[in-house]
Amino acid sequence: MAQQSLAREVDAAVPSQGWSEDWLSVAAGLLIFALALALLAGADLLGWATAPRTWLDIARAVRPSSATYAQVEGPVTLIATFTFALFVMTIGAALLRAHVVRFIVSFTVVFWLAYLCWVLGNYAYIAVTTPAEMQRLGLGWSLRLTGESGYLIALVVGLLIANFLPGFAAWLNEAVRPELYIKIAIVVLGGTLGVKAAEQLGLASSIMLRGFAAIIEAYLIYWAVVYFIARKWFGFSREWAAPLASGISICGVSAAIATAGAIRARPMVAVMVSSLVVLFAMVELLILPFAARIFFGDEPMVAAAWMGLAVKTDGAAVASGAITEALIYADAASQGIKYDKGWIVGTTTTLKIFIDIFIGVWSFLLAYIWTRHIEPRRPGDELRAGEIWERFPKFVLGFTATFLIVLLIGFNASPPLLKILNASMDQANVFRQLFFLLTFITIGLMSDVRALWQEGIGKLAAVYVVSLFGFVIWVGLFISWVFFHGLKPPISG
Amino acid sequence: MARETKGPRIGKELHKMQAEPLLPIEKKLIAWSLIIGVALLAMLVWTGTASIPIGR
Repeated sequence: MAQQSLAREVDAAVPSQGWSEDWLSVAAGLLIFALALALLAGADLLGWATAPRTWLDIARAVRPSSATYAQVEGPVTLIATFTFALFVMTIGAALLRAHVVRFIVSFTVVFWLAYLCWVLGNYAYIAVTTPAEMQRLGLGWSLRLTGESGYLIALVVGLLIANFLPGFAAWLNEAVRPELYIKIAIVVLGGTLGVKAAEQLGLASSIMLRGFAAIIEAYLIYWAVVYFIARKWFGFSREWAAPLASGISICGVSAAIATAGAIRARPMVAVMVSSLVVLFAMVELLILPFAARIFFGDEPMVAAAWMGLAVKTDGAAVASGAITEALIYADAASQGIKYDKGWIVGTTTTLKIFIDIFIGVWSFLLAYIWTRHIEPRRPGDELRAGEIWERFPKFVLGFTATFLIVLLIGFNASPPLLKILNASMDQANVFRQLFFLLTFITIGLMSDVRALWQEGIGKLAAVYVVSLFGFVIWVGLFISWVFFHGLKPPISG
Repeated sequence: MARETKGPRIGKELHKMQAEPLLPIEKKLIAWSLIIGVALLAMLVWTGTASIPIGR
Protein backbone atom coordinates (compact mmCIF):
# COMPACT_ATOMS: atom_id res chain seq x y z
CA MET A 1 0.00 0.00 0.00
CA ALA A 2 2.64 2.50 1.08
CA GLN A 3 4.85 1.37 -1.77
CA GLN A 4 2.02 1.78 -4.29
CA SER A 5 1.35 5.36 -3.22
CA LEU A 6 5.04 6.22 -3.10
CA ALA A 7 5.73 4.53 -6.42
CA ARG A 8 3.05 6.84 -7.83
CA GLU A 9 4.91 9.81 -6.35
CA VAL A 10 8.18 8.68 -7.91
CA ASP A 11 6.36 8.45 -11.24
CA ALA A 12 4.87 11.89 -10.67
CA ALA A 13 8.33 13.32 -10.02
CA VAL A 14 9.46 12.36 -13.50
CA PRO A 15 8.92 15.38 -15.76
CA SER A 16 6.09 14.73 -18.21
CA GLN A 17 3.63 16.65 -20.38
CA GLY A 18 0.71 16.22 -17.96
CA TRP A 19 -0.03 18.00 -14.67
CA SER A 20 2.15 17.21 -11.69
CA GLU A 21 0.92 17.16 -8.09
CA ASP A 22 3.13 20.19 -7.54
CA TRP A 23 1.37 22.36 -10.14
CA LEU A 24 -2.01 21.00 -9.11
CA SER A 25 -1.37 22.08 -5.52
CA VAL A 26 -0.55 25.58 -6.78
CA ALA A 27 -3.78 25.75 -8.83
CA ALA A 28 -6.02 24.36 -6.08
CA GLY A 29 -4.40 26.50 -3.39
CA LEU A 30 -4.68 29.67 -5.48
CA LEU A 31 -8.34 28.92 -6.27
CA ILE A 32 -9.20 28.70 -2.56
CA PHE A 33 -7.08 31.78 -1.86
CA ALA A 34 -8.76 33.82 -4.63
CA LEU A 35 -12.26 32.84 -3.49
CA ALA A 36 -11.41 33.87 0.07
CA LEU A 37 -9.79 37.13 -1.06
CA ALA A 38 -13.01 38.11 -2.86
CA LEU A 39 -14.23 39.19 0.57
CA LEU A 40 -12.17 42.35 0.07
CA ALA A 41 -14.53 43.20 -2.80
CA GLY A 42 -17.56 42.46 -0.62
CA ALA A 43 -18.22 38.97 -2.05
CA ASP A 44 -18.43 36.33 0.68
CA LEU A 45 -17.74 33.27 -1.50
CA LEU A 46 -16.31 30.87 1.09
CA GLY A 47 -18.15 31.83 4.27
CA TRP A 48 -20.35 28.72 4.03
CA ALA A 49 -17.37 26.42 4.65
CA THR A 50 -17.11 24.83 8.05
CA ALA A 51 -14.51 23.49 10.43
CA PRO A 52 -15.76 21.83 13.62
CA ARG A 53 -15.97 23.87 16.80
CA THR A 54 -15.75 22.78 20.41
CA TRP A 55 -18.98 20.95 21.24
CA LEU A 56 -20.93 19.22 23.95
CA ASP A 57 -24.02 18.88 21.77
CA ILE A 58 -22.89 17.29 18.51
CA ALA A 59 -25.67 19.06 16.62
CA ARG A 60 -23.76 22.30 17.23
CA ALA A 61 -20.36 20.95 16.20
CA VAL A 62 -20.43 22.42 12.70
CA ARG A 63 -21.47 25.95 11.78
CA PRO A 64 -20.61 28.24 8.84
CA SER A 65 -17.41 30.23 9.27
CA SER A 66 -19.05 33.53 8.27
CA ALA A 67 -21.99 35.40 9.80
CA THR A 68 -23.35 35.92 6.25
CA TYR A 69 -24.35 32.25 6.24
CA ALA A 70 -25.40 32.06 9.90
CA GLN A 71 -28.90 30.85 8.92
CA VAL A 72 -27.56 27.84 7.04
CA GLU A 73 -27.94 24.57 8.96
CA GLY A 74 -24.80 22.73 10.09
CA PRO A 75 -25.37 19.58 7.97
CA VAL A 76 -25.94 21.73 4.86
CA THR A 77 -22.71 23.65 5.35
CA LEU A 78 -20.87 20.39 6.00
CA ILE A 79 -22.19 18.83 2.79
CA ALA A 80 -21.29 22.04 0.91
CA THR A 81 -17.73 21.85 2.28
CA PHE A 82 -17.43 18.22 1.22
CA THR A 83 -18.92 18.88 -2.22
CA PHE A 84 -16.52 21.75 -2.86
CA ALA A 85 -13.49 19.71 -1.74
CA LEU A 86 -14.63 16.73 -3.81
CA PHE A 87 -15.25 18.93 -6.87
CA VAL A 88 -11.81 20.56 -6.72
CA MET A 89 -9.98 17.32 -6.00
CA THR A 90 -11.86 15.38 -8.67
CA ILE A 91 -10.82 17.91 -11.31
CA GLY A 92 -7.32 17.52 -9.89
CA ALA A 93 -7.52 13.73 -10.13
CA ALA A 94 -8.60 14.02 -13.77
CA LEU A 95 -5.67 16.37 -14.51
CA LEU A 96 -3.32 13.91 -12.84
CA ARG A 97 -4.83 11.19 -15.05
CA ALA A 98 -5.89 9.19 -12.01
CA HIS A 99 -8.83 6.76 -12.13
CA VAL A 100 -11.54 9.36 -11.52
CA VAL A 101 -14.39 7.10 -10.36
CA ARG A 102 -12.10 5.23 -7.99
CA PHE A 103 -10.77 8.57 -6.72
CA ILE A 104 -14.28 9.93 -6.05
CA VAL A 105 -15.24 6.85 -4.06
CA SER A 106 -12.01 6.66 -2.06
CA PHE A 107 -11.81 10.42 -1.46
CA THR A 108 -15.38 10.37 -0.15
CA VAL A 109 -14.52 7.65 2.36
CA VAL A 110 -11.25 9.30 3.40
CA PHE A 111 -12.94 12.71 3.77
CA TRP A 112 -15.76 11.50 6.01
CA LEU A 113 -13.51 9.31 8.11
CA ALA A 114 -11.13 12.22 8.61
CA TYR A 115 -13.90 14.70 9.33
CA LEU A 116 -15.40 12.39 11.92
CA CYS A 117 -12.01 12.29 13.67
CA TRP A 118 -11.85 16.07 13.51
CA VAL A 119 -15.30 16.45 15.09
CA LEU A 120 -14.34 13.94 17.77
CA GLY A 121 -11.15 15.89 18.52
CA ASN A 122 -13.27 18.97 19.17
CA TYR A 123 -15.37 17.29 21.85
CA ALA A 124 -15.25 19.68 24.79
CA TYR A 125 -13.84 17.14 27.24
CA ILE A 126 -10.91 16.61 24.87
CA ALA A 127 -10.41 20.07 23.41
CA VAL A 128 -11.13 22.79 25.99
CA THR A 129 -7.95 24.43 27.27
CA THR A 130 -8.74 27.37 29.52
CA PRO A 131 -10.34 27.43 32.99
CA ALA A 132 -12.69 30.19 31.78
CA GLU A 133 -14.00 28.04 28.95
CA MET A 134 -14.34 25.02 31.24
CA GLN A 135 -16.40 27.15 33.60
CA ARG A 136 -18.54 28.47 30.74
CA LEU A 137 -19.30 24.95 29.54
CA GLY A 138 -19.69 23.54 33.06
CA LEU A 139 -16.85 21.03 32.71
CA GLY A 140 -15.09 19.53 35.73
CA TRP A 141 -12.13 18.34 33.66
CA SER A 142 -10.70 18.33 30.16
CA LEU A 143 -7.77 16.62 28.44
CA ARG A 144 -6.75 20.11 27.19
CA LEU A 145 -5.54 18.68 23.88
CA THR A 146 -7.24 21.41 21.78
CA GLY A 147 -9.30 20.79 18.64
CA GLU A 148 -6.12 19.85 16.79
CA SER A 149 -6.22 16.51 18.61
CA GLY A 150 -8.58 15.59 15.77
CA TYR A 151 -5.49 15.50 13.54
CA LEU A 152 -3.83 12.95 15.81
CA ILE A 153 -6.99 10.87 16.00
CA ALA A 154 -7.06 10.89 12.17
CA LEU A 155 -3.41 9.80 12.08
CA VAL A 156 -4.06 6.92 14.48
CA VAL A 157 -7.18 5.84 12.55
CA GLY A 158 -5.17 5.86 9.31
CA LEU A 159 -2.42 3.88 10.98
CA LEU A 160 -4.85 1.29 12.35
CA ILE A 161 -6.45 0.83 8.93
CA ALA A 162 -3.06 0.49 7.19
CA ASN A 163 -1.85 -2.16 9.62
CA PHE A 164 -4.98 -4.11 10.50
CA LEU A 165 -7.12 -3.64 7.38
CA PRO A 166 -4.49 -3.50 4.62
CA GLY A 167 -7.03 -4.55 1.99
CA PHE A 168 -9.24 -1.58 2.85
CA ALA A 169 -6.19 0.73 2.87
CA ALA A 170 -5.23 -0.51 -0.59
CA TRP A 171 -8.80 0.12 -1.76
CA LEU A 172 -8.45 3.75 -0.63
CA ASN A 173 -5.12 4.10 -2.41
CA GLU A 174 -6.30 6.52 -5.13
CA ALA A 175 -7.08 9.23 -2.57
CA VAL A 176 -4.00 8.60 -0.41
CA ARG A 177 -1.95 11.61 -1.51
CA PRO A 178 -0.51 13.30 1.60
CA GLU A 179 2.09 15.30 -0.35
CA LEU A 180 -0.62 16.81 -2.56
CA TYR A 181 -2.85 17.70 0.38
CA ILE A 182 -0.06 19.31 2.40
CA LYS A 183 1.16 21.32 -0.59
CA ILE A 184 -2.34 22.74 -1.15
CA ALA A 185 -2.48 23.57 2.57
CA ILE A 186 0.91 25.29 2.39
CA VAL A 187 -0.13 27.44 -0.59
CA VAL A 188 -3.22 28.56 1.36
CA LEU A 189 -1.12 29.05 4.50
CA GLY A 190 1.01 31.58 2.61
CA GLY A 191 -1.89 34.06 2.76
CA THR A 192 -2.38 33.56 6.50
CA LEU A 193 1.31 34.13 7.11
CA GLY A 194 1.17 37.19 4.85
CA VAL A 195 -1.38 38.82 7.17
CA LYS A 196 0.75 38.01 10.18
CA ALA A 197 3.85 39.38 8.49
CA ALA A 198 1.96 42.58 7.61
CA GLU A 199 0.94 42.97 11.25
CA GLN A 200 4.34 41.99 12.71
CA LEU A 201 6.90 42.70 10.02
CA GLY A 202 9.87 42.80 12.40
CA LEU A 203 9.19 39.37 13.87
CA ALA A 204 8.41 37.83 10.47
CA SER A 205 11.59 39.14 8.86
CA SER A 206 13.78 37.98 11.74
CA ILE A 207 12.29 34.47 11.44
CA MET A 208 13.06 34.48 7.72
CA LEU A 209 16.66 35.57 8.30
CA ARG A 210 17.06 32.72 10.75
CA GLY A 211 15.75 30.40 8.04
CA PHE A 212 19.18 30.51 6.40
CA ALA A 213 20.56 28.51 9.30
CA ALA A 214 18.05 25.76 8.46
CA ILE A 215 19.29 25.55 4.87
CA ILE A 216 22.93 25.30 5.93
CA GLU A 217 22.13 22.70 8.54
CA ALA A 218 20.05 20.44 6.31
CA TYR A 219 22.26 20.42 3.23
CA LEU A 220 25.77 20.88 4.51
CA ILE A 221 25.77 19.28 7.94
CA TYR A 222 22.99 16.68 8.12
CA TRP A 223 23.56 15.35 4.61
CA ALA A 224 27.31 14.94 4.97
CA VAL A 225 27.08 13.14 8.31
CA VAL A 226 24.22 10.82 7.31
CA TYR A 227 25.93 9.94 4.02
CA PHE A 228 29.12 9.15 5.92
CA ILE A 229 27.26 6.98 8.46
CA ALA A 230 25.42 5.08 5.72
CA ARG A 231 28.55 4.50 3.63
CA LYS A 232 31.22 3.94 6.29
CA TRP A 233 29.41 2.40 9.25
CA PHE A 234 26.64 0.48 7.48
CA GLY A 235 28.43 -0.31 4.20
CA PHE A 236 25.65 0.99 1.92
CA SER A 237 26.40 1.47 -1.77
CA ARG A 238 26.28 4.99 -3.21
CA GLU A 239 22.96 4.18 -4.91
CA TRP A 240 21.31 3.65 -1.52
CA ALA A 241 23.36 6.03 0.63
CA ALA A 242 22.72 9.25 -1.32
CA PRO A 243 18.87 9.06 -1.45
CA LEU A 244 18.88 7.85 2.16
CA ALA A 245 21.02 10.83 3.23
CA SER A 246 18.72 13.23 1.39
CA GLY A 247 15.61 11.60 2.81
CA ILE A 248 16.84 11.81 6.38
CA SER A 249 18.53 15.20 6.08
CA ILE A 250 16.64 17.45 3.72
CA CYS A 251 13.00 17.02 3.10
CA GLY A 252 11.99 13.42 3.18
CA VAL A 253 10.13 12.06 0.22
CA SER A 254 10.76 14.89 -2.29
CA ALA A 255 14.49 14.99 -1.60
CA ALA A 256 14.90 11.20 -1.70
CA ILE A 257 13.10 11.07 -5.04
CA ALA A 258 15.06 14.03 -6.48
CA THR A 259 18.40 12.60 -5.35
CA ALA A 260 17.61 9.13 -6.67
CA GLY A 261 16.80 10.72 -10.02
CA ALA A 262 19.94 12.84 -9.98
CA ILE A 263 22.29 9.91 -9.40
CA ARG A 264 20.27 7.58 -11.64
CA ALA A 265 19.37 5.18 -8.81
CA ARG A 266 16.75 2.56 -9.57
CA PRO A 267 13.16 3.71 -8.80
CA MET A 268 12.88 0.95 -6.19
CA VAL A 269 15.53 2.75 -4.11
CA ALA A 270 13.50 5.97 -4.03
CA VAL A 271 10.32 4.06 -3.18
CA MET A 272 11.86 2.16 -0.28
CA VAL A 273 13.69 5.15 1.16
CA SER A 274 10.50 7.22 0.87
CA SER A 275 8.50 4.51 2.65
CA LEU A 276 10.99 4.62 5.48
CA VAL A 277 10.90 8.41 5.63
CA VAL A 278 7.11 8.43 5.94
CA LEU A 279 7.19 5.77 8.63
CA PHE A 280 9.73 7.60 10.78
CA ALA A 281 8.10 10.98 10.14
CA MET A 282 4.93 9.48 11.56
CA VAL A 283 6.83 8.30 14.66
CA GLU A 284 8.38 11.76 15.07
CA LEU A 285 4.97 13.36 14.65
CA LEU A 286 3.62 11.31 17.53
CA ILE A 287 6.57 12.02 19.86
CA LEU A 288 8.30 15.34 19.18
CA PRO A 289 5.38 17.80 19.62
CA PHE A 290 4.73 16.34 23.06
CA ALA A 291 8.44 16.51 23.92
CA ALA A 292 8.43 20.13 22.74
CA ARG A 293 5.44 20.85 24.97
CA ILE A 294 7.22 19.43 28.01
CA PHE A 295 10.67 20.94 27.46
CA PHE A 296 10.07 24.11 25.42
CA GLY A 297 6.73 25.43 26.57
CA ASP A 298 8.52 28.65 27.52
CA GLU A 299 10.35 28.85 24.18
CA PRO A 300 7.60 28.42 21.58
CA MET A 301 9.75 29.50 18.63
CA VAL A 302 12.56 27.09 19.54
CA ALA A 303 9.91 24.34 19.51
CA ALA A 304 8.62 25.60 16.16
CA ALA A 305 12.07 25.63 14.56
CA TRP A 306 12.86 22.23 16.02
CA MET A 307 9.83 20.71 14.29
CA GLY A 308 10.93 22.25 10.99
CA LEU A 309 14.49 20.95 11.33
CA ALA A 310 13.90 17.52 12.85
CA VAL A 311 10.66 16.18 11.33
CA LYS A 312 11.03 14.97 7.76
CA THR A 313 8.58 15.34 4.85
CA ASP A 314 6.60 18.54 4.41
CA GLY A 315 3.38 16.94 5.58
CA ALA A 316 4.65 15.59 8.87
CA ALA A 317 6.78 18.66 9.60
CA VAL A 318 4.02 21.21 9.09
CA ALA A 319 1.58 18.90 10.85
CA SER A 320 3.93 18.61 13.83
CA GLY A 321 4.16 22.42 13.89
CA ALA A 322 0.37 22.57 14.10
CA ILE A 323 0.23 20.05 16.95
CA THR A 324 3.08 21.79 18.79
CA GLU A 325 1.29 25.12 18.48
CA ALA A 326 -1.94 23.63 19.78
CA LEU A 327 -0.24 22.02 22.78
CA ILE A 328 1.98 24.96 23.75
CA TYR A 329 -0.75 27.55 23.19
CA ALA A 330 -3.12 25.46 25.30
CA ASP A 331 -0.67 25.39 28.21
CA ALA A 332 -0.03 29.12 27.83
CA ALA A 333 -3.78 29.81 27.73
CA SER A 334 -4.29 27.91 30.96
CA GLN A 335 -1.77 30.34 32.53
CA GLY A 336 -3.59 33.34 31.10
CA ILE A 337 -1.17 33.93 28.19
CA LYS A 338 -2.90 34.10 24.84
CA TYR A 339 -0.45 33.97 21.94
CA ASP A 340 -1.46 35.17 18.49
CA LYS A 341 -2.38 32.08 16.44
CA GLY A 342 -0.27 30.73 13.62
CA TRP A 343 3.25 31.76 14.62
CA ILE A 344 4.54 28.32 15.52
CA VAL A 345 3.10 26.54 12.49
CA GLY A 346 4.16 29.54 10.39
CA THR A 347 7.77 29.31 11.59
CA THR A 348 7.91 25.54 11.04
CA THR A 349 6.51 25.98 7.53
CA THR A 350 8.88 28.84 6.68
CA LEU A 351 11.92 26.78 7.64
CA LYS A 352 10.66 23.77 5.72
CA ILE A 353 10.04 25.85 2.62
CA PHE A 354 13.48 27.47 2.86
CA ILE A 355 14.95 23.96 2.90
CA ASP A 356 12.72 22.78 0.03
CA ILE A 357 13.79 25.60 -2.27
CA PHE A 358 17.29 24.20 -2.66
CA ILE A 359 16.37 20.58 -3.44
CA GLY A 360 16.85 21.25 -7.16
CA VAL A 361 20.22 22.93 -6.68
CA TRP A 362 21.47 20.15 -4.39
CA SER A 363 20.28 17.44 -6.80
CA PHE A 364 22.07 19.24 -9.61
CA LEU A 365 25.27 19.39 -7.58
CA LEU A 366 25.06 15.67 -6.81
CA ALA A 367 24.29 14.89 -10.45
CA TYR A 368 27.35 16.93 -11.46
CA ILE A 369 29.63 15.06 -9.03
CA TRP A 370 28.21 11.67 -10.03
CA THR A 371 28.47 12.29 -13.78
CA ARG A 372 31.94 13.84 -13.57
CA HIS A 373 33.60 11.63 -10.99
CA ILE A 374 31.59 8.51 -10.22
CA GLU A 375 29.35 7.25 -13.04
CA PRO A 376 29.75 9.22 -16.29
CA ARG A 377 26.50 9.36 -18.29
CA ARG A 378 26.17 8.05 -21.80
CA PRO A 379 26.55 10.47 -24.75
CA GLY A 380 23.25 12.29 -25.33
CA ASP A 381 22.30 11.95 -21.65
CA GLU A 382 24.42 14.81 -20.37
CA LEU A 383 23.54 16.91 -17.37
CA ARG A 384 21.37 19.98 -18.17
CA ALA A 385 20.95 23.13 -16.07
CA GLY A 386 17.21 22.78 -16.74
CA GLU A 387 17.18 19.87 -14.30
CA ILE A 388 17.34 22.42 -11.45
CA TRP A 389 13.99 23.85 -12.56
CA GLU A 390 12.52 20.42 -13.21
CA ARG A 391 13.27 19.38 -9.64
CA PHE A 392 12.25 22.71 -8.08
CA PRO A 393 9.22 22.23 -5.79
CA LYS A 394 6.65 24.36 -7.64
CA PHE A 395 4.24 24.66 -4.73
CA VAL A 396 6.79 27.06 -3.21
CA LEU A 397 5.79 29.49 -5.98
CA GLY A 398 2.16 29.27 -4.87
CA PHE A 399 3.14 29.84 -1.25
CA THR A 400 5.30 32.83 -2.18
CA ALA A 401 2.52 34.32 -4.34
CA THR A 402 -0.17 34.12 -1.65
CA PHE A 403 2.26 35.38 1.00
CA LEU A 404 3.40 38.39 -1.04
CA ILE A 405 -0.09 39.33 -2.31
CA VAL A 406 -1.50 39.46 1.21
CA LEU A 407 1.62 41.14 2.61
CA LEU A 408 1.41 43.88 -0.03
CA ILE A 409 -2.31 44.42 0.55
CA GLY A 410 -1.94 44.33 4.31
CA PHE A 411 1.24 46.37 4.69
CA ASN A 412 -0.36 49.79 4.33
CA ALA A 413 -3.96 48.76 4.89
CA SER A 414 -6.25 50.72 7.18
CA PRO A 415 -7.39 48.86 10.33
CA PRO A 416 -10.87 48.10 8.87
CA LEU A 417 -9.33 46.72 5.66
CA LEU A 418 -6.86 44.66 7.68
CA LYS A 419 -9.79 43.24 9.62
CA ILE A 420 -11.52 42.14 6.41
CA LEU A 421 -8.24 40.72 5.13
CA ASN A 422 -7.92 38.71 8.33
CA ALA A 423 -11.50 37.48 7.97
CA SER A 424 -10.89 36.41 4.38
CA MET A 425 -7.80 34.43 5.34
CA ASP A 426 -9.75 32.86 8.21
CA GLN A 427 -12.16 31.53 5.59
CA ALA A 428 -9.30 30.13 3.52
CA ASN A 429 -7.97 28.67 6.74
CA VAL A 430 -10.96 26.31 6.97
CA PHE A 431 -9.66 24.56 3.88
CA ARG A 432 -6.06 24.80 5.04
CA GLN A 433 -7.11 22.89 8.18
CA LEU A 434 -9.13 20.45 6.10
CA PHE A 435 -6.15 19.62 3.89
CA PHE A 436 -3.98 19.30 7.01
CA LEU A 437 -6.50 16.78 8.29
CA LEU A 438 -6.40 14.81 5.03
CA THR A 439 -2.60 14.84 5.27
CA PHE A 440 -2.70 13.29 8.73
CA ILE A 441 -5.08 10.47 7.88
CA THR A 442 -3.30 9.64 4.63
CA ILE A 443 0.15 9.61 6.27
CA GLY A 444 -1.33 7.02 8.63
CA LEU A 445 -2.83 5.10 5.71
CA MET A 446 0.60 4.91 4.06
CA SER A 447 2.39 3.59 7.13
CA ASP A 448 2.07 -0.17 6.81
CA VAL A 449 4.77 -1.13 9.30
CA ARG A 450 4.34 -4.89 8.86
CA ALA A 451 4.65 -4.78 5.07
CA LEU A 452 7.81 -2.69 5.28
CA TRP A 453 9.32 -5.03 7.84
CA GLN A 454 8.55 -8.01 5.60
CA GLU A 455 10.43 -6.22 2.81
CA GLY A 456 13.52 -6.53 4.99
CA ILE A 457 14.21 -2.88 5.62
CA GLY A 458 15.84 -3.52 9.00
CA LYS A 459 19.27 -2.34 7.90
CA LEU A 460 17.87 0.79 6.23
CA ALA A 461 15.84 1.48 9.35
CA ALA A 462 18.98 1.10 11.48
CA VAL A 463 20.71 3.92 9.57
CA TYR A 464 17.60 6.01 10.01
CA VAL A 465 17.39 5.34 13.77
CA VAL A 466 21.09 6.06 14.33
CA SER A 467 21.03 9.24 12.24
CA LEU A 468 17.70 10.60 13.38
CA PHE A 469 17.77 9.84 17.08
CA GLY A 470 21.53 10.00 17.48
CA PHE A 471 22.19 13.15 15.52
CA VAL A 472 19.50 14.95 13.49
CA ILE A 473 17.09 15.60 16.37
CA TRP A 474 19.80 16.90 18.72
CA VAL A 475 21.68 19.05 16.22
CA GLY A 476 18.31 20.43 15.08
CA LEU A 477 17.51 21.27 18.67
CA PHE A 478 20.88 22.93 19.23
CA ILE A 479 20.56 25.09 16.10
CA SER A 480 16.96 25.95 16.95
CA TRP A 481 18.05 27.05 20.41
CA VAL A 482 20.97 29.13 19.15
CA PHE A 483 18.92 30.98 16.55
CA PHE A 484 15.42 31.10 18.04
CA HIS A 485 15.64 31.28 21.82
CA GLY A 486 14.16 34.43 23.23
CA LEU A 487 11.78 34.91 20.30
CA LYS A 488 8.14 34.79 21.34
CA PRO A 489 4.92 34.90 19.33
CA PRO A 490 3.01 38.18 19.77
CA ILE A 491 0.38 38.27 22.48
CA SER A 492 -3.13 38.21 21.02
CA GLY A 493 -5.47 41.16 21.50
CA MET B 1 6.72 0.66 -10.79
CA ALA B 2 4.47 -1.32 -8.50
CA ARG B 3 5.58 -4.46 -10.33
CA GLU B 4 9.17 -3.60 -9.57
CA THR B 5 8.60 -3.39 -5.82
CA LYS B 6 6.99 -6.82 -5.86
CA GLY B 7 10.21 -8.31 -7.18
CA PRO B 8 13.12 -9.28 -4.95
CA ARG B 9 12.69 -8.26 -1.34
CA ILE B 10 14.72 -5.31 -0.14
CA GLY B 11 16.52 -7.49 2.41
CA LYS B 12 17.89 -9.63 -0.43
CA GLU B 13 18.79 -6.51 -2.41
CA LEU B 14 20.75 -5.13 0.52
CA HIS B 15 22.40 -8.51 1.10
CA LYS B 16 23.57 -8.60 -2.52
CA MET B 17 25.03 -5.10 -2.25
CA GLN B 18 28.70 -4.96 -3.24
CA ALA B 19 31.21 -3.23 -0.96
CA GLU B 20 32.07 0.18 -2.39
CA PRO B 21 34.93 1.95 -0.62
CA LEU B 22 34.62 5.72 -0.19
CA LEU B 23 36.15 7.45 -3.20
CA PRO B 24 38.31 10.56 -2.73
CA ILE B 25 35.55 12.68 -4.30
CA GLU B 26 33.04 11.42 -1.75
CA LYS B 27 35.46 12.19 1.09
CA LYS B 28 35.92 15.68 -0.35
CA LEU B 29 32.15 16.18 -0.60
CA ILE B 30 31.65 15.16 3.03
CA ALA B 31 34.57 17.16 4.37
CA TRP B 32 33.86 20.36 2.43
CA SER B 33 30.16 20.23 3.23
CA LEU B 34 30.93 20.06 6.94
CA ILE B 35 33.64 22.72 6.83
CA ILE B 36 31.52 25.17 4.84
CA GLY B 37 28.42 24.37 6.90
CA VAL B 38 30.06 24.95 10.27
CA ALA B 39 31.81 28.09 8.98
CA LEU B 40 28.57 29.56 7.61
CA LEU B 41 26.67 28.82 10.81
CA ALA B 42 29.43 30.42 12.85
CA MET B 43 29.33 33.42 10.54
CA LEU B 44 25.56 33.73 10.94
CA VAL B 45 25.93 33.73 14.70
CA TRP B 46 28.89 36.09 14.58
CA THR B 47 27.17 38.61 12.30
CA GLY B 48 24.32 38.74 14.72
CA THR B 49 21.56 36.92 12.86
CA ALA B 50 20.86 35.12 16.09
CA SER B 51 20.35 38.37 17.94
CA ILE B 52 18.45 40.48 15.42
CA PRO B 53 15.86 42.43 17.44
CA ILE B 54 12.34 41.10 17.26
CA GLY B 55 10.64 44.38 16.40
CA ARG B 56 7.16 43.82 17.80
